[in-house]
Amino acid sequence: MSSSNTETTTVEVVMPQMGVSVSEGTIVEWRKQVGDWVEYEEPIVDISTDKIDTEVPSPAAGRVAEILVEPGTTVDVGTVLARLATDARPGQAHASEQNGAAEAAAAKGETPAASTATPSPEPGTATPDDAPSRERPAAGARRYSPVVQRIAAEHGVDLERVEGTGRGGRVRKQDVLAYLENGGAAAAEEPPLHIESPYRPDPVEPKPAPAAATGVYQAPAAAPLSRMRRIVGEHMKRSLDTAATCTTWIEADMSRVERARRDAGLTALPYVARATIDALREYPALNAWLQGEEHTVHDDVNLGIAVSLGDDGLIVPVIRAAQDLSAEGLSKRIKELARAARSRTLSPDDVQDGTFTITNPGQYGSIMATPVINQPQVAILDLEAVVKRPVVVTDEDGNDSIAIRPMTVLGLSWDHRALDGALAAQFLAAVKRRIESV
Amino acid sequence: MATMTYLQAISDAMREEMRADERVLVMGEDIGVFGGAFKVTDGFIDEFGPDRVMDTPLAESGIIGTAIGAAVVGMRPIAEMQFADFISCGFDQLVNVAGKMYYRQGLPVNITVRLPSGGGFSGGPFHSQNPEAWFMHSPGLKVVAPSTATDAKGLLISAVRDHNPVIYLEHKHLYRRVKEEVEPGTYATPFTARIAREGTDLTVIAYGAMVHTALEATEDIDGASVEVVDLRSLVPLDEEAILASVRKTSKVLILDEANQTCAAGAQVAAVIADKAFEDLDGPVRRVATPDVPIPFSPPLEQALLPSVDRVKEAARELLEY
Amino acid sequence: MATKTAGADPAGVVTEHLTLEDRVALLRYMLLMRGIEERAMNLYRQGKVPGSFYDGFGQEAVSVGSTFAMSAQDRLCILHRDLGGHLVRGVTPARILAQYMGRADGITNGRDGNVHFGDHRLGCVGMVSMLPDMMLVATGMAMAFKLRHEKRCAITWFGDGSTSRGDFHEAMNWAGVQRLPVIFVLENNQYAYSTPTTSQFAVDPVERAATYGFPGETVDGNDVEAMFEATRRARERALAGDGPTLLEAVTMRMHGHAAHDDMKYVPKEQVEEWRKKDPIDRQETRLREAGVDTLAIREEIAAAIEEGTREALANPMPDPATATDRLFHDGDEILLGDGNAPWSGFAGGAR
Repeated sequence: MSSSNTETTTVEVVMPQMGVSVSEGTIVEWRKQVGDWVEYEEPIVDISTDKIDTEVPSPAAGRVAEILVEPGTTVDVGTVLARLATDARPGQAHASEQNGAAEAAAAKGETPAASTATPSPEPGTATPDDAPSRERPAAGARRYSPVVQRIAAEHGVDLERVEGTGRGGRVRKQDVLAYLENGGAAAAEEPPLHIESPYRPDPVEPKPAPAAATGVYQAPAAAPLSRMRRIVGEHMKRSLDTAATCTTWIEADMSRVERARRDAGLTALPYVARATIDALREYPALNAWLQGEEHTVHDDVNLGIAVSLGDDGLIVPVIRAAQDLSAEGLSKRIKELARAARSRTLSPDDVQDGTFTITNPGQYGSIMATPVINQPQVAILDLEAVVKRPVVVTDEDGNDSIAIRPMTVLGLSWDHRALDGALAAQFLAAVKRRIESV
Repeated sequence: MATMTYLQAISDAMREEMRADERVLVMGEDIGVFGGAFKVTDGFIDEFGPDRVMDTPLAESGIIGTAIGAAVVGMRPIAEMQFADFISCGFDQLVNVAGKMYYRQGLPVNITVRLPSGGGFSGGPFHSQNPEAWFMHSPGLKVVAPSTATDAKGLLISAVRDHNPVIYLEHKHLYRRVKEEVEPGTYATPFTARIAREGTDLTVIAYGAMVHTALEATEDIDGASVEVVDLRSLVPLDEEAILASVRKTSKVLILDEANQTCAAGAQVAAVIADKAFEDLDGPVRRVATPDVPIPFSPPLEQALLPSVDRVKEAARELLEY
Repeated sequence: MATKTAGADPAGVVTEHLTLEDRVALLRYMLLMRGIEERAMNLYRQGKVPGSFYDGFGQEAVSVGSTFAMSAQDRLCILHRDLGGHLVRGVTPARILAQYMGRADGITNGRDGNVHFGDHRLGCVGMVSMLPDMMLVATGMAMAFKLRHEKRCAITWFGDGSTSRGDFHEAMNWAGVQRLPVIFVLENNQYAYSTPTTSQFAVDPVERAATYGFPGETVDGNDVEAMFEATRRARERALAGDGPTLLEAVTMRMHGHAAHDDMKYVPKEQVEEWRKKDPIDRQETRLREAGVDTLAIREEIAAAIEEGTREALANPMPDPATATDRLFHDGDEILLGDGNAPWSGFAGGAR
């Protein structure tokens, strides 16, 4: 074996800390295999943490010499994941590897093919909301006719979200008008905002084969829970174990919200969010953290909005200082965060320091729920479906009549360690009042 | 109400005006004793006499020029060109004397010039033209082109009464093909556009014979709702009606039986591009006859004049854009 | 057959239809025409008259003489060397000069220039530049008079050059075949711009009248009284239903085609010869011999022109905002009106 006179510089790739409270991370997929060249800051591995999924940029340019942690493994922050040899050029064997390294690599049987133990999403893959039916020009290449642009500007429509049915997938006037008709949030376009909850439809399991004639029940083989399921489950359990969770509900007449949101081309959520923020200013006790014995009432409302990531579970991006935003502003911010969440481009800051959370899973028609509080917050508001109901209305003369109104049930889960039912009810009433006077 | 052809409606209009106003006379080649090349003035000479149903010498410049002279001393002449094509022989009198007289001298010239126009029947290059664009381009001349029998009557009556020189394009191909119930007596149609069919998905703008082509071509294109605007008046052009329709549908197709370059449709397209830009969801498209003289042999002629199929295809393309 | 009207010798009487006042009036109008055109030429050279400037220097007798024979109800299409026609009808020097200078109160309010005007209230139709288009307009007016059985006629002037164009033929033919009460005055001033008549026609147009079915008569265009008499007779024919007449007024264009033309193409001898036959000199001589103080008349005319100049210069230019006005007429009917008819033969309601 010949020896080289050049020095080998080795750089370690370690598990990063994605957020203050994060203590560990899981390898999702290696982007580079042993023997591959990687540029400085080029993504080398995908990881997943409690807070966020992300890619790790290479700390140096060099050749991947060793991979130490396999995909699917969870390790502590700081653990060495791989080693890079930095003393060679692309396409060239490392000086240290010449004459023997190639054989060694072949002997190890490393292949460039990616092998992952558990199915995991890659950053940037199609989200569930992408309709596959029509070919769409790349976002940057899309052009919009004058009338389409004018209508979009007048109604604050994000044309990127509008399905085009014209030639070559172009957005036509009727497309943007139809988009507005559907409340600017056609079910196909915007996925439900959702929080860790029992409402995720569980994967349908195949019916077990009929029992054999022996009379003894043959259970099918068990499969381990997915990583995501485990993480979600742990969160829920922890929350329910920690907090004294109670739920209170109130009905709200959404007529004015419906009218306002149609005129503005928004969904109902921003209006409910704005009403909630105002109610929190009135009842700041619900805008608080409870960690052990430590009770912190916050001034800013850092409003968390639960976002579903489909098979990848849930995440709660936070709108910092949400009290400074109008309904339109909240709508915009919610869309931005949801988009970032789905494209896995949220930063750790985006998911931290929430003081109150709203969840909005009403697309399936469910009307009430018992949401789970997002620790260490003390309350969470659930907005379900808006349903037209016959209600009794009383006019100024005191005469009752039946009217048809779009109604919804607002659910508030709250921590009895931090507050009482009366306060919770008052808060809910304040939200309702504001919703009904939009 | 009586059922009348387009041609009969034109006769009716002149008869009404000549009966009501002795200042009205009709003059042209072969219109008196012979009743006109197309029989529009058949029987007129018996009712109104040779002075008011005047067989003129073969002199287009003479017909227009003397009509101008008669008009400024109080007559209301209706000058007929035997074919629209021959107006080129009277171009100078029409454009330079009649068109400019009021602007220059404050003396209005009340003449009506009837032009039997259009092709589609192997008339050849000198009997098939649609010369309206020449006169839209000459300041001081009004230009109208009816497509229905009702409008043929009403627009002609308005033209005779209008104090200004009015060029009235009567499409030869519609003379006997268009028939409908026409109001009896006298009525004057304003120089505005008319909605031939209401719609929401596409606007087709046309005038004269092309209105009928437009209606037929867009009757059923995959159930689309197509609006057809009949301009009726080229000068003055009903911009308001045009823009309102484009605002509604955001897509527009403009038809010309005249040669494409600088036809009436080109002006309409320019107005739309200028004033309706923000209402457009597609390019402003035109279907017109290519820039060649109208040929005589049927397959050649049919290939050039905008056909129902060609218009339908263009409409479909634009609908799908 | 063409006939010639003998121009009387300077002292002779041409026609018994003119009183002394009439003959003085004829001089007046000619002096007014020449004076206005001289003043206008000066204004042109001072830069106050935009565009081109045309005059009828040496041809004053043609328009003054023939217009003098027109009644108030007759109608006229006056051409660019016939300023005298406008003057006889009653247009004031001030308005003419304002017209030349493109002022707001010019007869066309600045819409057309130089002699391209006609005050319709006085029965005059303004000319166009395409010649002789107005022959057909005059024919049309006469046609209407005949249809309505009115005792009126129309008159128009046109030059030797314009007889080469189609409208000459169409008008002559139309007037001839319909026997219309129209008087065609062919001003043969020997040149159409730089083109002499020898390049313009092979046969003098006055000979051709016969081929259209009516008489052509050659008249001394520089004898104002002969012009009057010939026109008066033609008018009588017309009113009697005998149809049109072509009068060829033989004269000479003493200035260039327009102010910008130095007429180098005209032999000097020709100009000299015609100077001796100047129409104003001739009429002035006649009247002096009849005891008229023509100097006083000249002073009067000069003063009138001064006055008119002052008034015209005080007139403002037109408002640019009105440039697109008056394209189409919407209101009540506007027709040609009657003009002045100063001939004594029309006094007392005579027609």
